[in-house]
Amino acid sequence: MDNFGFLFAANAFVWGGIIYFIYTLKQRNRELEKDVELLKEAISKESR
Amino acid sequence: MNQETAEGLEEESSILIWLTGLAFVAAMAAIFLFVPTEKTEGPIQRIMYLHIPSAWLSFFAFFIVFISSILFLWKKEREWDIYAYASAEIGVIFCSLVLITGPIWAKPIWGTWWVWDARLTSTLILWLIYVAYLMLRAQTDPGSMRARYAAVLGIVGFLNIPFIHFSVLWWRTFHPQPKVISSEGFGKGMDPSMLATLGISLGAFTLLYFLLMGQRVRQEKLKDEIDRLKREKLYSS
Repeated sequence: MDNFGFLFAANAFVWGGIIYFIYTLKQRNRELEKDVELLKEAISKESR
Repeated sequence: MNQETAEGLEEESSILIWLTGLAFVAAMAAIFLFVPTEKTEGPIQRIMYLHIPSAWLSFFAFFIVFISSILFLWKKEREWDIYAYASAEIGVIFCSLVLITGPIWAKPIWGTWWVWDARLTSTLILWLIYVAYLMLRAQTDPGSMRARYAAVLGIVGFLNIPFIHFSVLWWRTFHPQPKVISSEGFGKGMDPSMLATLGISLGAFTLLYFLLMGQRVRQEKLKDEIDRLKREKLYSS
């Protein structure tokens, strides 16, 4: 019994899932950091 | 968050990234180069080194949800709600991987993708409970009531985990009985090289959990910071 296709499929799902999750996490964090910076800038401009 | 704290966190995070990366390289080397092929199942059995650690990670994540939810209900601190929410999301992702890799492993061995036996069904129920947890958080208005309802669901959901563990002992199931923590003693039901490989893989997945948790908690804290800044901007204008 070889079933390499099944072994490949399981690895593809696990690695694909982990990499996709890390990628979306990183991207979302970057967007949020940018929003924080923009808001801080806007507040400091208004207070001047 | 001041500059020094942020830099300290960045440094910790990069150490964890390296450690996790190295642990996964070691795990992959052990899975594909070191451990011998199992006699009856053949190469497909190597799915075990991803399937069991994914299950371990999801159970550990739901345990953190359970503890954090209790602490939230007790102390009413937002911090614990953040930990519970972050951990639930990670738990659901890895529980999904368990429910995907399991049938992929089952098809060539059992001849079917799925059977409604106690272990598989109770794992599916666990997944559904925590998907409901995430839906509850997404569909209700932010505030202490949402956090409270979610905490109750987070605690109730975890009670299913001991049932999942003992299901293969209480009922006759398709799913094999535990090999690592068995009645014969710790790791007695397994070849030492298989046990070592599984241990490395479990270690790598545990490090991955802490890495993901760090990022996910940071995300929630950034969202809180944005809400605070928006309020500040509103009052200042």
